[in-house]
Amino acid sequence: MKKYFAQTYKWIDERLDLTSLGHFIEKKYVPIHAHSIWYYFGGVSLFFFLIQVLTGILLLFYYKGSADLAFESIQFIMSKVQFGWLIRSIHAWAANLFILSVFIHMFSVFFEKSYRKPRELTWVTGVFLFFMTLAFGFSGYLLPWNKLAFFATKVGTDIAGNIPIIGDVMKGFLRGGDDVTGATLSRFFGFHVALFPGIFTILLVIHIIMVQRQGMSEPLDIESSPNAEKKSMPFFPNFMLRDLLLWLIVLNVLAILAVFFPADLGEKADPFSSAPAGIKPEWYFLFMFQTLKYIPAKIFIMDGELLGIVLFGLAGLLWVLVPFWDTQSSKGLRNRKINYIGLFAVAFIIVLTILGWIS
Amino acid sequence: MKRRIMLAIPILIIYLIPLSAYGATDQCYTCHSALEDKESKLFAEDIHFKKGISCSGCHGGDNTTEDNDAAMNKEKGFIGVPKGNKITEVCARCHASEKMMKSFGSKLPVNQFDNLINSVHGKTSTAGGGRIVQCTTCHTAHGIKSVKDPLSPVYATNIPKTCSKCHADANYMRTYNPTLAVDQYTQYLTSVHGKLNSTGDPKPAQCASCHGSHDIKPVKDIKSKVYPVNLPYTCSGCHSNKEYMAQYKIPTDQFEKYARSVHGQALLVKNDPGAPACNSCHGNHGAAPPGIESISKVCGTCHALNEELFSASPHKAAFDRKGYPECETCHGNHEIITATNKLLGVDKDGVCIRCHGDQNSSGYKSAYIMRKLIDSLDETKQSAMILINEAEQKGMEITEAKFKLRDINQVKLEARTQVHTFDPAKFKDIVGKGLVISRDATADAKVAIHEYYFRRVGLGVSVFLISLLAFGLFLYLRRIEKK
Repeated sequence: MKKYFAQTYKWIDERLDLTSLGHFIEKKYVPIHAHSIWYYFGGVSLFFFLIQVLTGILLLFYYKGSADLAFESIQFIMSKVQFGWLIRSIHAWAANLFILSVFIHMFSVFFEKSYRKPRELTWVTGVFLFFMTLAFGFSGYLLPWNKLAFFATKVGTDIAGNIPIIGDVMKGFLRGGDDVTGATLSRFFGFHVALFPGIFTILLVIHIIMVQRQGMSEPLDIESSPNAEKKSMPFFPNFMLRDLLLWLIVLNVLAILAVFFPADLGEKADPFSSAPAGIKPEWYFLFMFQTLKYIPAKIFIMDGELLGIVLFGLAGLLWVLVPFWDTQSSKGLRNRKINYIGLFAVAFIIVLTILGWIS
Repeated sequence: MKRRIMLAIPILIIYLIPLSAYGATDQCYTCHSALEDKESKLFAEDIHFKKGISCSGCHGGDNTTEDNDAAMNKEKGFIGVPKGNKITEVCARCHASEKMMKSFGSKLPVNQFDNLINSVHGKTSTAGGGRIVQCTTCHTAHGIKSVKDPLSPVYATNIPKTCSKCHADANYMRTYNPTLAVDQYTQYLTSVHGKLNSTGDPKPAQCASCHGSHDIKPVKDIKSKVYPVNLPYTCSGCHSNKEYMAQYKIPTDQFEKYARSVHGQALLVKNDPGAPACNSCHGNHGAAPPGIESISKVCGTCHALNEELFSASPHKAAFDRKGYPECETCHGNHEIITATNKLLGVDKDGVCIRCHGDQNSSGYKSAYIMRKLIDSLDETKQSAMILINEAEQKGMEITEAKFKLRDINQVKLEARTQVHTFDPAKFKDIVGKGLVISRDATADAKVAIHEYYFRRVGLGVSVFLISLLAFGLFLYLRRIEKK
């Protein structure tokens, strides 16, 4: 048996040069320090993405992306397809945990200033991946074609319509017409299962290649300490097995959530019915939604909602460009302002989300 | 008698004085009566003439001069014979003015003109040139009488004839609405109202009692007094008035009962204009109580299948023999309540026991069996519902079973129709369909509840296996990291 395995390995090695890859992995080390825990969230996010791809493909076997059949097909998945309920519940829960995990990963990188030279582009691709996860959430939310999703999409695309200059065109493009209809569902389905996964995979590959090429970033204080004091562990098998251990724990949590709190389906969307009272977006958009609610309708001569959108747009742009305006961290200098900005952003998101939740 | 004559003489004198006095000073009337034309003859009997209004009141001109040219001078406001809408406008000059009406001591309402122009008759005539109806169309022109005068064309007993002049004229009515019936007058003459009206009794309903007079709206207009939702109130205006109805010796609680009935609730509470109103059973222009033999036909206009099944059942002949009113015997008339299971069977609330008291009779046995069957359907539905609710509370997707269970309502509806065959075998076939649905829904609910527990067991096993793997991995990691 061992002989056959060795022969097979040799056959592949001759063609793909697995030995050099092995050498690369053998030489790869992960720093050990007080903040090492944050390294795992990138891997956990990747795990959630893989779960989403797998469960998404399984759901595709039965899901029908049309206004007449979408709701019924999900009903069928939930009641008739063997383990369909489990697949859908895991897909729904993993989507939420995926976004949460990406949030944590992104903020941990921010606070560690790991975006500093030479990892500026890793950060940029990472922030775009974060935007993509939100886009996945927004497009996927409409697919069950239930009442809540229908009206949430209406509100969401209305907000998009307020974006200066391109708003109207963008709203029309997102909706596939003047209103949220079956055409919107069809294109959201297309975005969710084809366009976004394609873009996401490309960005993810670039992101991972960069991480592998550059290695794990060390916090500023560790980086400046003498090499003799630095601790590390081999990526393979130690870190990888630790990642795997965490993935197993996460899988357990997912299974428990999916069984005890299965994904709800609600009522089928009815464009002629009135919007449910107190309609809110998903939790990851809640802080933005709540902020827009607090902004007065008119601020001087400017429309309040428009101002809010412009401000969020600017904040997003500054967020993408952090490595380029935080020049101090790149020079290896401490930059407390970044910590304060990060803390403000986290506090803002948490407080506004809570306010949105309880309002 | 002598006292009465003595009292009448001064009243007659007072009444006649102004007549002769005006007759003497009104040159229009003086000349036209000398000519003995038709108009002046009629006008002598006109209420306006009696009130001292001259020809010039409507036609304009100067009624004080004998000179023809001066009297009928346009500069003095002479308009000749008013045509089209001018007619009504001439009348409205006084009849729409409270001040003018008061000056003649009249208490007549002054909204007739407004009512008329907003009524169905206020629309433009197909002949062109004016409204369909002008005041003179119904009241005539020179011989206008008080509405209370039996000689007036709009006196209660004359109204049907007056309206029928147009409404019974198929050629004329076709120009407005070819689908509108023109037999209302003929039908009215056959109705209880019409028959009494023909005897000279002004109290029974005539056209204006139900449709209104100046303010007549199309039947489909929600403001019409005969719009389905308004009709019971219109009928009850007379039929619930004990004093008014006293001489006819019929009950006056029909509206009260109807309002409580399933029909009344649908029409008056839910505002469903398709629900039966008084005219649905009694007819409208030919209104009369349905005869004993015709009740099932009347109810059958809506409840066609029930009527068909009843007519083919053994009850039909038995009811005819005994002279029982068909549907009414079990369901009542004005106060028909929703038929529930209680109506069927041999309990104290059941109607079958009223005739089928003998426990050994086939009627008693049939009623007993049918009641048991329909009760069993309710029970199985209830128990399926409990299980479905339990599954739903457990978070299971059970919509299909819930939908299935809804079909039982259809079965119950069918069973309630089928009961009119009074045949337990046929009834059982229908109820059987419902029992199958209940059984299927119950099975679905049980599967869902079982699935709920299976998922928990499955979760336990999975969590255990994954945890075991994780623990093994943890131990392995500890071992390699110790090295």
